[in-house]
Amino acid sequence: MNNIAKGLLQIAGLTVFSMSVNALTPYLHIPIPGSIIGMILLFLLLESGIVRLSWVEAGASWLLAELLLFFIPSAIGVMKYTRLLEADGLQVLAVVVVGTFAVMACSGVLTGAIYRIKERRGL
Amino acid sequence: MMYSLLFLGLTVAVYLLAKKLYVRSGKIYCSPLIITPLIMIGILLLSGTSYESYNAGGKWLSDLLQPATVAFAIPLHKNFKVLKKHAAEIAAGVLTGTVTAVLSSMLLAKWLHLSGDLATSLVPRSVTTPIAMSISQNIGGVPSITAVFVILTGILGTLMGPSVLRLFRIDNEIARGVSLGTAAHGTGTSKAFELSSLTGTISSIAMILTALFSIGLAPALLAVFLH
Repeated sequence: MNNIAKGLLQIAGLTVFSMSVNALTPYLHIPIPGSIIGMILLFLLLESGIVRLSWVEAGASWLLAELLLFFIPSAIGVMKYTRLLEADGLQVLAVVVVGTFAVMACSGVLTGAIYRIKERRGL
Repeated sequence: MMYSLLFLGLTVAVYLLAKKLYVRSGKIYCSPLIITPLIMIGILLLSGTSYESYNAGGKWLSDLLQPATVAFAIPLHKNFKVLKKHAAEIAAGVLTGTVTAVLSSMLLAKWLHLSGDLATSLVPRSVTTPIAMSISQNIGGVPSITAVFVILTGILGTLMGPSVLRLFRIDNEIARGVSLGTAAHGTGTSKAFELSSLTGTISSIAMILTALFSIGLAPALLAVFLH
């Protein structure tokens, strides 16, 4: 089987898998979306060896490589909110930029610090 | 139907061209996540097409986010050992990031005199869209406006990411992954995968943990700090 056909087949498989998990999730009554439950499930199947890496790897790496493409329709959706952004756009932008800067810096610096402490102690 | 297929094809074509341009130029403002929406919004406005009729085709792309999220299981499986080794710093980093995200959104929105609705809708902005929308609903925000703030956070976070990492000398893969995934969910994670497969995996874990922590913490923090 050539690589493109294999990749497409695996993507189709992953899609069917995520759709099935999605359909079952409401019965679990937990506030976690089906796609994340599907991810945990597939991870467990891979760890236990029930699903082999080679069955899903090609399709998965294609999906992850084009991840940004799947966000584009929602990014275009911002056009529906031009009135809101005209009125409060600058303040919103300030909150998002300053907030994101703070989150990146705090989480990254702390993680790096603990990482180095553990490394120094030879853990 | 023809119309929406045409726009769907056009989105993919513009995305592929933008990606080529981005790889060749290496300039962050050439990111497909900036250029593609701008060009497409321009085309939709010029042709007088509403977002709803665009999205009849566009939603096929959004739907692929689901199998793509499931696909994170593969790098997770491959890098599980490294992940276990660094579980403590990942959890601590994400927890700090989540608290920072909620508090900074709330306090900044208050200082800038944004209305209560907008401020509340901003709170879950660094969480991945479906969970952000449900948190928004729970705390009295407007889920569809939250979705806009989530994508804005993703775009700006991806733009700012490399400079922030450089500025604070965040140079190991674990810390970079935590930083990008906690601050900018899936789009940050896609940036992290550009850096390395391990960074991307850590980032996807950070993204999921941020979502889980936010479900628990956002309502509580909101209650404590707004009263």
